[in-house]
Amino acid sequence: MPRSRLLSRLAIHATLIAFAAFYLVPLLVVMLNSLRSTEDISHAGVINLPHELVWSNFSETWSSYCIAQHCTGIQPYFWNSMQMVIPATIVSTLLGALNGYSLSLWRFRGDKLVFGIMTLGVFLPEQMRLVPWVIVLRDVGLFNTISGLVMIHIVQGLSFTTLFCRNYYVSIPPDLLKAARIDGAGFFRIFWRIVLPLSPPILIVTVIWQFTGIWNEYLYGVTFSSGEHQPITAALIALSARLSDAPQYGEQSAAVLLAAAPTLLVYLFGGRYFVRGLTAGAVK
Amino acid sequence: MQDHRISRRAVLAAGGAVLALPRLARAQGAAKPKVTVISQWSSGSSGAAMMALGKEIERQGGVWEHNPVPGFTTEMMNKLRAQIIAGDPPAASQLKGPEIAAWSKIAPVIDLDAMVKAAGYEAVVPAELARLSKPHGHWIALPIQAYRINTLFVSKKAADRVGLTKLPATWAEFNAVAEKMKAAGITPIANGGIKWDDGMKWEIALCGISLEAYRKALMELDAKTLKGPEVLAAFRQFRNFGNWSDPGIAGQDYTTFVPRFMKGEMGMLLMGDWAAGIYKRGGFQVSDYLVGPAPADDGKIAFDLNSDEFIFWQKKEIEYQEGQKLLAKIVMSKELGPLFCQITGSIPVRTDTDLTAEGFNDQQREASRSMAEAAKSNRVVLSLAHNMAQTNQITAAMIDVLTEFLHDNRISPEEGQKRLVDAVDNVR
Amino acid sequence: MTWRERWDRVLPHLVIWPPILVSCTYVLLFSAWTVWVSFTRSTLMPEYSWAGWHNYSAMLASRNWQIAYTNLFIYGGCFVVFTMAMGLLLAVLIDQRIRGENIYRAIFLYPLAVSFVVTGTVWGWLLNPTIGVQKLMHDVGWSSFRFEWLIDRDMAIYTIVIAGVWQASGFAMALLLAGLRSVDVDLLKAAQIDGAGPVRTYLRVVFPTIGPIFIAVLVMLLQFAIKTYDLVVALTAGGPGLASTLPTVVVYDFMFQRSELAKGSAAAVMLLGSLAFVLVPYGLYQRWKRRKAGAYA
Repeated sequence: MPRSRLLSRLAIHATLIAFAAFYLVPLLVVMLNSLRSTEDISHAGVINLPHELVWSNFSETWSSYCIAQHCTGIQPYFWNSMQMVIPATIVSTLLGALNGYSLSLWRFRGDKLVFGIMTLGVFLPEQMRLVPWVIVLRDVGLFNTISGLVMIHIVQGLSFTTLFCRNYYVSIPPDLLKAARIDGAGFFRIFWRIVLPLSPPILIVTVIWQFTGIWNEYLYGVTFSSGEHQPITAALIALSARLSDAPQYGEQSAAVLLAAAPTLLVYLFGGRYFVRGLTAGAVK
Repeated sequence: MQDHRISRRAVLAAGGAVLALPRLARAQGAAKPKVTVISQWSSGSSGAAMMALGKEIERQGGVWEHNPVPGFTTEMMNKLRAQIIAGDPPAASQLKGPEIAAWSKIAPVIDLDAMVKAAGYEAVVPAELARLSKPHGHWIALPIQAYRINTLFVSKKAADRVGLTKLPATWAEFNAVAEKMKAAGITPIANGGIKWDDGMKWEIALCGISLEAYRKALMELDAKTLKGPEVLAAFRQFRNFGNWSDPGIAGQDYTTFVPRFMKGEMGMLLMGDWAAGIYKRGGFQVSDYLVGPAPADDGKIAFDLNSDEFIFWQKKEIEYQEGQKLLAKIVMSKELGPLFCQITGSIPVRTDTDLTAEGFNDQQREASRSMAEAAKSNRVVLSLAHNMAQTNQITAAMIDVLTEFLHDNRISPEEGQKRLVDAVDNVR
Repeated sequence: MTWRERWDRVLPHLVIWPPILVSCTYVLLFSAWTVWVSFTRSTLMPEYSWAGWHNYSAMLASRNWQIAYTNLFIYGGCFVVFTMAMGLLLAVLIDQRIRGENIYRAIFLYPLAVSFVVTGTVWGWLLNPTIGVQKLMHDVGWSSFRFEWLIDRDMAIYTIVIAGVWQASGFAMALLLAGLRSVDVDLLKAAQIDGAGPVRTYLRVVFPTIGPIFIAVLVMLLQFAIKTYDLVVALTAGGPGLASTLPTVVVYDFMFQRSELAKGSAAAVMLLGSLAFVLVPYGLYQRWKRRKAGAYA
């Protein structure tokens, strides 16, 4: 390896490591606290090394912590969230890819207007959408169900997934499609044979966005579900007791780390889809 | 218009039916009395107290379904609003202060008068609470626990360093202690610096300066008193609090500073009496701090009250109606104190509760005596910062002024008072 | 036309239109509903009595709103610029076929994964001068170190920028990286043959090709800025005083805490209206670009 190249490699890694350190500091505090007891934190302050390692924070929050009358830990809420996030992510990503494809490569009259309206959807603050959703859920009879939450996240998510996919597909060279059309390929054939193989990077970005957003959503989660059917965020907030209760930062930190595990897995496994060079393969 | 609406509903319902597949069918209990409750008490000691209440309902043959909405009161109220819009309010829900009156207008509530009368309940609760529970002349809500806001905690270590053995009785004494602490290198006041906490400190100041002015200014919004000297004095004392706090305060829950308070780095904490529960959980002893009523300049008893209540919503189903009767019976009984308040560390609302029983602590006993005495001599006022004195619109507008004042030394007490008056006028 | 051909023509429409219609209806209906409520006297519950512009004038006159709206521009501007810059830098660095790419990416993305209710609280501790970084520096002997933005009325809003950039730059990185990876290899080879260095290749070939991705990132960041809520609540709770409050906090506060649904809706409408500050210049720029292109043609 030539010297200059070695130096530039080193510089790149040094920069990335510096940034990584900045990104990891808050996580470090959370990790340390997840191993501390409530007594330790209230005696030695919220930022400190563990006095002794309390691994039981994890097992307790996972399976025996009491929320209301159910001493089941965050575990059932974790599965509730899974039931919500998996269908909502898959459906909204697929529909977003289809929407993006038809809005960018197939085109129709008024497509710009449609895209504009859908893009406006990403800006609607969730506070403002709360009461209308109550009315809609009541009318479709999905109030207090996980299906209702799935529906909300699909409808709202479409704005994002469509935006991401459409703006990714726009830069696909038109020649690629022209050739296929001459060969007699239809709407779905082109999508399936040409567009989808080009899509892994954007699809994984979309999945990351949807999965993370839905998994961490709290306001709708608590308003539109109840009791044992609440998502994980409700359980997380339940651990950060208010006012008349001492905040239990230890258990709460452990719970947050447990709750973040699925998203981290999505990031790690999704990573391998950030690949280059599929374009070349698709043409041939 | 009508058929349009139906068709829209039908279309939506068809869509909904497709999505409803994984929905679980709920088995309906036979005719057992049933209680559904929405509260924000999901965990910790309040969660445990709710669990105990549920067990008692079940012991007496009822079905208990508690749906806690963790987080702030606002999220709980969102849930309640959503349930009401959906046409399915809970049998009872946690609500407090003038919000009881406001919410009772948007959905039908039940009249508890007969039961209250039969239980002889009205005579044994503070009149202020009775007034909140029957906003339109009829009992529609029942208080379950009370807290004293005007409570002073002094770090034992800090007290020892300045030779303090007895809590200051007036603000002048309080200020002298604070100066001594400051000279000894102790931060005299512990404050977290979030809105409700700031607002509460001001309210404690006014409560100790003049209970009458507190009642007129904050509960009756009397314009003359709001512009009067007592309110100005409260702003001045409030400024003192600010100057004696750690400059690093901002946006922190007060519990963040408990370690420094207990180490004696911070001297005094003005906080509702629930703080004791937090010390206990943190592994501190009663001997680590002094506790008692906050200073009162006239030397008389004063009780700044915070209380949680259940409001009872009208339900058609007979099992809910029976369940509501059962819940009301338990809530009004003398047993609620040992059952509920012992766990949360709060004060039983029935002034005839026997607190000598094991399980109550000295602080609860002192505060409870104080409440009973204050109730007798009409010296109970309702907390502003905890949404007991005014509706949320007015409270929030006033607290905005107070929190800005505390964190900005450029605002003079006179200017602060003027802004408070304006804020009230704007909402009213 | 055979049956089969006809079916091939119709089928795409059957698949495309339902989600698009649902999505557009949702956006238009919910917006219209909010606008409508903002003109009523709704308090605890939506009701439909006409109040005219009253809610708007009341909100515009309130200190809450004035501070929040000013903050939105400070916060939004800084947040978008810094997040975009950091996202781009990280994406380009990671794009250099480095070892451990997957780990780096996960680290940069993770802030998005952890519920901000907790990490926001942790940021609050870290930035708090009496318990966080400043105290740490003092403890290790650097006693002149000062970092007191959190308790400074004028600077508190920038602590939210720090936490916001921390939270969102990873996603900007991911989206940009996806774009970078979509660039045709042949295009890069051609640039190389022309003798363009790496900087030139990025500036002249890669970035222009993924222009739409930049727009997507920009839209994503703008919506993030406009909708920022839990960040403020967990980090500064809007303080000191009201100094770091943001419009969403005001919207939520009025709609639900104060039970002023109509005023909160008016605030939400004005919040959405702030998009005009971005859209109008963008539209003008587009028109100018088109006109310029026309002039050359």
